[in-house]
Order: sequence, then C-alpha cells, then structure tokens
Amino acid sequence: MVLAQLGGSISRALQQMSNATIIDEKVLSECLNEISRALLQADVQFKLVRDMQANIKRIVNLDDLAAGHNKRRIIQQAIFNELCKMLDPGKPSFTPKKGKTSVIMFVGLQGSGKTTTCTKYAYYHQKKGWKPALVCADTFRAGAFDQLKQNATKAKIPFYGSYTESDPVKIAVEGVETFKKENCDLIIVDTSGRHKQEAALFEEMRQVSEATKPDLVIFVMDSSIGQAAFDQAQAFKQSVAVGAVIVTKMDGHAKGGGALSAVAATKSPVIFIGTGEHIDEFEVFDVKPFVSRLLGMGDWSGFMDK
Amino acid sequence: FTSMFQSIAGNAIIEKSDLQPALKALKDRLMTKNVAEEIAEKLCESVAASLEGKKLGSFTRISSTVQTAMEEALLRILTPKRSIDILREVHAAKEHGKPYVIVFVGVNGVGKSTNLAKVAYWLLQHNISVMLAACDTFRSGAVEQLRTHARRLQIPIFEKGYEKDPAVVAREAIQEASRNKSDVVLVDTAGRMQDNEPLMRALSKLINLNSPDLVLFVGEALVGNDAVDQLSKFNQKLADLSTVPNARLIDGILLTKFDTIDDKVGAALSMVYISGAPVMFVGCGQSYTDLKKLNVKSIVKTLLK
Ligand SMILES: Nc1nc2c(ncn2[C@@H]2O[C@H](COP(=O)(O)OP(=O)(O)OP(=O)(O)O)[C@@H](O)[C@H]2O)c(=O)[nH]1
Ligand SMILES: Nc1nc2c(ncn2[C@@H]2O[C@H](COP(=O)(O)OP(=O)(O)OP(=O)(O)O)[C@@H](O)[C@H]2O)c(=O)[nH]1
Ligand SMILES: [Mg+2]
Ligand SMILES: [Mg+2]
Repeated sequence: MVLAQLGGSISRALQQMSNATIIDEKVLSECLNEISRALLQADVQFKLVRDMQANIKRIVNLDDLAAGHNKRRIIQQAIFNELCKMLDPGKPSFTPKKGKTSVIMFVGLQGSGKTTTCTKYAYYHQKKGWKPALVCADTFRAGAFDQLKQNATKAKIPFYGSYTESDPVKIAVEGVETFKKENCDLIIVDTSGRHKQEAALFEEMRQVSEATKPDLVIFVMDSSIGQAAFDQAQAFKQSVAVGAVIVTKMDGHAKGGGALSAVAATKSPVIFIGTGEHIDEFEVFDVKPFVSRLLGMGDWSGFMDK
Repeated sequence: FTSMFQSIAGNAIIEKSDLQPALKALKDRLMTKNVAEEIAEKLCESVAASLEGKKLGSFTRISSTVQTAMEEALLRILTPKRSIDILREVHAAKEHGKPYVIVFVGVNGVGKSTNLAKVAYWLLQHNISVMLAACDTFRSGAVEQLRTHARRLQIPIFEKGYEKDPAVVAREAIQEASRNKSDVVLVDTAGRMQDNEPLMRALSKLINLNSPDLVLFVGEALVGNDAVDQLSKFNQKLADLSTVPNARLIDGILLTKFDTIDDKVGAALSMVYISGAPVMFVGCGQSYTDLKKLNVKSIVKTLLK
C-alpha cells in the first residue's frame, strides 16, 4: 500500500536527524521540512501539514528542554503522536451486524467509485453469509441504473431501481422498504456524484438521507485527489452524518494522502480500500494496525524501544 | 549590513539567499492551489535561475520581482505552443472525404464519456455531424451510458456490446462513419490506471490501428500530485508500447470538474507543464453546455492570488 511509502520518507528524515551531533533549531527544522514535503507530495492538505509542523515545534520547544533530556526521543515521540492523530480519528465506525437490518448510504464526488464500491461492499459481506441488496438512487447519471444492475447481476445480488422515476428520494425509500420486507440485512443505497459548490445536489443528498435513515453513511473518495479533498469531505460531513471513509483506486500510483485529509475532515476512519475495477479487489482497512505498522515497526522500531 | 544599504540605493545584485524567503512563500502558495510539489519546486528553481545575478531595480522589492518573474513563467508555460483548431481540421478532413477521429483517454472516472458527449454537442452547434463509438467494452453500463447520450443528442452510435476488442470496434466504427458520411467520430475508451501495462498496451493498439486525428487526454482538475505521473506515463507507455515507428502521443488535454475546485486550479498547470500539451477544453459541470476554453490569464491570476 502506497501510504506505507510515507513511512519510509519519514524514517529517513528522522534518521538524518539522528546522525546530527547536536540537535539545534536548524536540524529540527530540516527534519520537519523533509517530513512536510513527503506529506505534501502525498496530497495531504497544506494546512494540516503546516499545523502539524507548528504543533511539533511547540511541543518540542528546544529552549525549554533541560540538558538532561533526550531531545531525539522527545522529537520522535511528538512526530509519532501527531501522525497518529492525523490517521486515527479515535473512534471506530458503526459496524453492521449480520441478521439485523442495516441501511448503508454511499456518497461522494462524481466518479469517485461509489457504484463500483457499493457492489464490492455487498459482495464482501455476501461471501460472509450476509443477505445484501443494492438500491440505485442515482437517477441523474446516464446509464447509472444499467451499471448497478449489471454489477449486481454478475454478483447475484438483488437490486432495485427504475428507468423512468426521476426522484431519487422516492426510489431510495421504495428500495429500502422492499428489501426490509425481504429480510435483507445489508441494504446499500448508491447515490449520484455531487460536489459542495452545487447546493441543490447537497440538498438532494440530505433528503435521501432523511428519508432512508441510514445507519452508516460512507464517503467514497478517489486516492488521487489533491488539495480539494479536505474542503469537499468536510462539506459532505456537514450535510449528512458521514461515519466512514472508503478510499478507491489504490491500485494506481497516487499516494492517497487525500485520505488523511478526509479522515481529519470527517473525523471518520477509513474502513476499506479499493484496489482495482474487479468486484473482489477490495481490502479491509484497519486504522490501528496500519498506524502501528507504519510507525511502530521496521525503521521505526529503533526509536520505539529506546 | 552592506546589503541593506545597497537595497535602499537600488541596483543591488540579486543573490540566491535573497530570493529564498520569497520563493518559499510562492512555492507554498502554489501548493495550496493544488500544483504538484515537484512542479512547484521546478518552477521556483527556474525563477531563481532567471533572477540570480541580475540587478534589482531601484525601489523594487525582492518579493515583487519574484512575483513578476513567476507570473511571466506561468504565462509562458500555459500559453499553448501548438494551437489546434479542431473545427478547421474537421473541415479539412471533410474535404478529403474522411471522418475526423478523436479518441478520449484517461484514468478511471475522470469524465471521459460525459465530456465526449459535451464535445459532440459543441460540434453539433457548429453544424458538424457526429457519430459516437462505444469502445469502452469493459465497464458495466458504459455502453448504455453512451447510448443515452446518443439518444438525447439524436446522433448515431456504433456499438458492439461488451467484451469485444475495443481497437476493432473503433476500426469498424470509423468504417461505418465513412459510409454514413459522418464528419467526426468520437471514440470513448475505458478508464485505465497509467501503471496497468496490459490495459495501456490495449490502448496503444487502439491508437496504432486507427491513427486518430486527435488523442485527447481527459484529466480531472481534482487530481493532486498524481497529475504528473498520469500524463507522463500515458505518453511514455504510448511511446514504449507502440508497434509502429512513429508512436502517437497525447495531442491535447480536456480538463474536467473545474466546477468542483474553487480556486485550487493547480492541476491545469501540473498537466500542461509535464506534457507540453495544450488544454483544449475545460469541463465545468454535468450538462452539455458546460464546456469552455481555458482562460490562461485568469488561471495565472488565481494561482498567484
Ligand atoms: N483501477 C480502479 N478503478 C476503480 C476502482 N474503483 C472504481 N474504479 C473505476 O472508477 C470509475 C468510476 O467508478 P464509479 O463506480 O462509476 O464511480 P461513481 O462514484 O459511482 O461515479 P458517479 O456515479 O458518476 O459519481 C469506473 O471506471 C470504475 O471501474 C478501483 O479501486 N481501482
Ligand atoms: N461536476 C462535474 N462533474 C463532471 C464533469 N465531467 C464529468 N462529470 C461527472 O463525473 C462522473 C464520471 O463521468 P464519466 O464521464 O462517466 O467518467 P469516465 O471517465 O468516462 O469514467 P470511466 O469510463 O468509468 O473511466 C459523472 O458523474 C459525470 O457526470 C464536470 O466537468 N464537472
Ligand atoms: Mg455511480
Ligand atoms: Mg466512460
């Protein structure tokens, strides 16, 4: 996974600092600059990076450190804590329970991978013995219902949608009702792509959410997104109760730093990543083990044990 | 101490160290506007090189000198070196009795099919007849998506369903267009990651087999640092995987989702800088009329604001 490359750059920057004989303002700044650069190259939001840099400087405050203190250790710890804070929102997302009906609504920017990911999510649970179902509440995009229908048919998952109805709220409600009657335990509602600049689209999303009362709203984001990630994610969160993030297209070359921005903006964890166009190219993402793997092992183990 | 006297007197020689703070601030500004880090860095280096050793004019500040030099550099980069006049080329092709072929390429979900439909609409406005070629034979719903656009625009579509070789579908579509005297064929292709060798090979085959008049790279304004990799790898793979002597590369860029980024317009710069290809269209919404030309001056202004 590409976010892991970040671990490498950060370790190198810390290593260079460790090689310096005296740690003064200049050495610390250089180290932090290197780390910031790696984060910016990975598309983490500029402001988050700058805040992180300022926080570390404040915590470390070289002048205050008495001679006896181990400066390196304190600096490394501060960096570790700040990165953890960025990656881990601190609370787990809602987890649906097998056999008990849950409604899950997918939202996100245009083309981020919602429809594809809906089916992957359904298929993943179906293999574990759930009874998932898909509802196509995208009445806008040309071919949207055909796309969902073809995906669902291939995976043998029941679906609901309409070629003629243009009101997404109506379809969403009908679909959810239908599948509740059929005792499906995971009812997944796919919605149109939208962006914060168009208020009417956000209002529509709010209405779908209000009418279907989802147990979990998942924000789907493309791993290649740049500096717009934070603002968009935050706007989604302000309109509907986003509770989890899925990052798609991780099979590409992008480093996925926008995911860190989305975690920060929505205060929600990344729960899965998409790693290809096929239905089984989908992986569970567990923040805590990932953070400890990124920061706690390999090159990092050195300072963890010091 | 001396340098302070000189700067008041004017005509001081600019040294690299004088430039650093202003350049750092400028690089940061470019990155907040979503210019890729690598590109922001290179631009600052070239601005530094152009100013170092020069004399600072009387009563001018370093920061404004740097700003002016950057503005000039940005204008130079974004102003197309090659200009492509699609309408003229279409008419020229028509005189030779051949349909003009445009292939839309790019990574997944950036807006290839939607903006292909917008280009069709734009051509229709200019009384040019258009046919669509459904050569995304992979993604679920891709053919129906294009069919919907063809129906709404009341134009013909050539399609062979799914799982066919897109290169062959494109060739048959072009033959059909010659027969039915369509002026332009717009070829939709499946999205693919720039690192995906088999899919890039298939795209190279489609382009080699059909020698289109224009290869349009569709990229979204939302993309961050990956913009650089997408453009450079599409070009590199089209060159490396080509089986003909003169490989066709990207001719122009269609920049989509410009309505979703506020003032973070940097992807336009990253894409043009790395590929040298002009931005031929800007997509700024989800309806047929949301297709514009790039306003270079306003991009430069936004980047430096
Ligand atoms: N390579 C790769 N492609 C993906 C992945 N997830 C989705 N895609 C592709 O991305 C494109 C867009 O996916 P969709 O599922 O249609 O996106 P969407 O968010 O539903 O799009 P709208 O409904 O138009 O907003 C399609 O070509 C998908 O095949 C992934 O993990 N890897
Ligand atoms: N806001 C906005 N959305 C756009 C724009 N262009 C395309 N879209 C939306 O982006 C989504 C994906 O568009 P498509 O045309 O299906 O993208 P694609 O590149 O053909 O996708 P694949 O074929 O799956 O790779 C759709 O929801 C479009 O409506 C644009 O300029 N602005
Ligand atoms: Mg969709
Ligand atoms: Mg398409």
